[in-house]
Order: sequence, then structure tokens, then C-alpha cells
Amino acid sequence: MLTVDHLRKRLPDGKLLLRDINFSVGEGEFVAILGLSGTGKTILLRCINRLTTPDGGEIVLTDNGSSLNITESNAGEIREVRRRIGMIFQGFNLVKRRSVIENVLIGKLGRISVVRSLMRRFEDGDVEMAHRALSRVGILDLADRRAGTLSGGEQQRVAIARSIVQDPCLLLADEPVANLDPTTAEVVMNHLRSISVDNGISALAVLHQPELARKYATRVLGVRDGVIVYDGDARLSDDDFELIYGGNNA
Amino acid sequence: MLKNRYVVPVLFLLFFIWSIICTGFSIRDLIEGVPNLSNFLGCMFPPAWDAFVPLISPAIETIQMAFLGTVFAVALSVPVALLAANNITPSKHVKVFARSIIAFTRTVPDIVFALIFVSAVGLGPVPGILALAIHSVGMLGKLYAEAIEEVDPGPVEAVEAVGAGKLQAVYYAVLPQVTPSFVASTLYRFDINVRSSIVLGLVGAGGIGFELIMAMRLFRYHEMLTILIIIFIVVMLSEWASNSIRAHIIGEEVLK
Repeated sequence: MLTVDHLRKRLPDGKLLLRDINFSVGEGEFVAILGLSGTGKTILLRCINRLTTPDGGEIVLTDNGSSLNITESNAGEIREVRRRIGMIFQGFNLVKRRSVIENVLIGKLGRISVVRSLMRRFEDGDVEMAHRALSRVGILDLADRRAGTLSGGEQQRVAIARSIVQDPCLLLADEPVANLDPTTAEVVMNHLRSISVDNGISALAVLHQPELARKYATRVLGVRDGVIVYDGDARLSDDDFELIYGGNNA
Repeated sequence: MLKNRYVVPVLFLLFFIWSIICTGFSIRDLIEGVPNLSNFLGCMFPPAWDAFVPLISPAIETIQMAFLGTVFAVALSVPVALLAANNITPSKHVKVFARSIIAFTRTVPDIVFALIFVSAVGLGPVPGILALAIHSVGMLGKLYAEAIEEVDPGPVEAVEAVGAGKLQAVYYAVLPQVTPSFVASTLYRFDINVRSSIVLGLVGAGGIGFELIMAMRLFRYHEMLTILIIIFIVVMLSEWASNSIRAHIIGEEVLK
């Protein structure tokens, strides 16, 4: 459903961060991306929903039989691509001064007219959907609180509810639990995993802990020196670990 | 050669002396003027209390001028600030254009705008309101743009990542973040506009300032003092009002 072919990305300072990235993600897969800090894992995710423009290669998203060429999309087509791709951020990225429910409804913004959204008129069905999404991640009671007053784990669950309402076919997660304590991290990972399974959403998550990948992912991609050095089982052997994280000479 | 640390004080002193000479500033003139001054002030006492009530209506007009001028200035400044802010502007050329508007409206004094509008639409409060509305864009546009540039880009990115457009991102992720600072800047500008609208009255733009210049020209010194007292009350009241609104909003921020 997602194919990445010979993807290249150069940093503004001229350094070639992603040299030649090739992989694909199938329906319903939960793929973890592992690698050292600074290897461009986040940039790779951002190329997929075009928050960053790649320098070369091709990314194609196939959804319900229709294919979207992400790398060749114009501004209007990028919005269509983004509607189908949810994103979870390390810093949650909620609008802190707005209520939880309003933050969840942001997931619908790509599908309603500008005029309607400026009047803040959401359809009853959308509001109901937002409440259901909050109840799925177990924080329906916080719907009317200001998002900024919530704990980190609660904020990330609001962000997940926002993605549920968006109803994407692919979910990108950029270090979704890096700012959370281990127990909260498990809760958040469980929610991510279950919406992937229940809603049939493929997921691509940058993780910083191989143990989390082993527990939640169906497959692991290892990024190193701008290429994919590992593509396979989520249970990494010591050799695989060495290949990705490179032991002493890292 | 002079040491570096003497350069600034020496230049300062030279410019000070030069300015005193050129402007003809002399303490003697000031001292000799004191009897005239006390004579003038003596003419003003006591204030003409019977003029107090009829002057309330022009005083209210002054506040209304400042209020409308500020409201229109906000309506003009928000779009200009969005176009001028580095992180929101659609293009570099638009940014330069928006910043030119801000610089121009700030550079031209409000009294100059008022003179222009008085000759265009005639005497009365309307030219004053227009002058305040346009001149205020110079300050509000600049302060708003700075606030917009300081927003956390994360939420804006999150809104754009669901496929929303730029306008939706601004409305849902930028405006909520800048509201407190917009409110503070606007109230500050309202205080300034209350005082400015008095001065604008002097050039024919209505309100209590117009009454002041009329009283002065007709040598009604007792009435002038009454007007000065009313101006003092108006300024105090407007500052008290904006302070209470500000405290109310900041209090809400702390509570969250």
C-alpha cells in the first residue's frame, strides 16, 4: 500500500542524509523504524506526508485500488495525500488553549469546507465520532478540559483520537512515546496497535527502543548511513542489532 | 587618540551643547516667563463648573473615537500581520509589501492622517477615527506579527498534516496561541488612542480636544480648565478599564 523507491533527501547544509531508501508497507502492517539518532528517521516520515519535500525518488500510496504519487503531487494533491495519512508527533502538537474535543475535531478539517470550519460548525455525526474516538482511548471524561492541562500520556491519546477521526489508511508515528514514562508508553503503544488492527490502518512508527518494536511491531526497518540495512522480523538477533546500531564504532 | 570609552560621552556632550545653542534654549527666558505662566493659570481659576455637564457628551465622543479607531485598526492589523509574519506569509514579496504598510503607517504621525482626512471628509469625529485606525496599524501590525512568529510550530504542522489548508491552520492553531498577546497589545493601543484622539480634536477631528482648542481661541480660560479636568478623568477611566480587562484575562490564563 505504500512503496518508497530510491528516496533521497539532502539537508540544507548539503549533507546527503537519506541516500537510497527502498521499502514497502503492506495492508495492516505495523512497521517500526529503528536507527541511531540523526540518521534521518524523522525526515523519512516527513517525506511520506510531504511536510518535507524529498530531493529524489518516488513514494506511492495505494488506497482502495487508487494510487497517489506523493513525490509528484502539487499543492492540492498533497492535501489529498495528507487526508489519507495520519501523523502522531513526539511532542503531541495539540492546540493547548483549546478543549480536548476541539483538538480531536481538527482531524476532520481536511474534509470540511473552509467556510464551515471558520464558523466552527461540525456536523453532529462528526462530533459523535470524536466522542467515540475519545472513549476508545479511554479519556471521554476529559472532553471539555483544556488540552494544555492534560498529562503527556493523556495528550498523546488525544492526538491518537484526532487520527482516528481523520480516518486515514496509513498512520505515521514519530517517536510517539519518547516523552512518556514506561508505563504510559505501554498504554499509548497499545492504543496505536489496536487502532491499527481494528481499523485496518497500516502503521509506520519511528521508535527509539528495540524492545517496544519487538513487542508491538510486525516488522522492523533498520536505517543506517542513509540506507535501509535491515528489513525483517521484529525480533532482532544480536547480529541484527549490531547491524543497525553498530556497536563500538557508532 | 581618545580611548574608546570616552567617545560616546564626548559626542553626547558636544551634541547637547550644539542643540542648546541652535534651539536658543535659555533658563533666563524660562524664569522671566514664570509671571506670564502664573498669570495665565490665574485666569483659568476657578473652573467653569456650569460648563461641565455640556462637555460630557464631547468627552464620550472622544472615547468613542478611540474605541472605533482601535476596533477598525484591529480588523486591518490582523491580516496585515499574518502576511508580514515570516512563518505564515505566502511569499517573500507579500511579506515585504505587508511590512511596508506597517512601516508607512507607523512613520506618518496620526495628526498628519487626521489633517488629510479632515480636508477629505470635513470636520468631526470621522476623520479622527480614520486617522487612529490607520496609524495604529503601524504598531499593532508589528506587535501582532512578532507574536505570530513566536507561536509553537508543532500544532500548526499537526493541523496541516491532516490535509487542512493554510487558512484553517491559522484559524485553528495560530490564533488560539496568540490571543493573550493580541488582547494585551490591543488594550495598550486603546490607551494610547484615547490620548491621541484628544490631540486629534485640536485639528478639527471632534471630541473634547476640539472643545479645548475652541475654548482657547475664544479666550474662555475657565472653560479650558474644566476641559482639562474632564480630560484627566477620561484618561484615568480608560486606563482603569483596560487594566481591569487585562487583569481579568491574565487571571483566566493563570487559572487555565
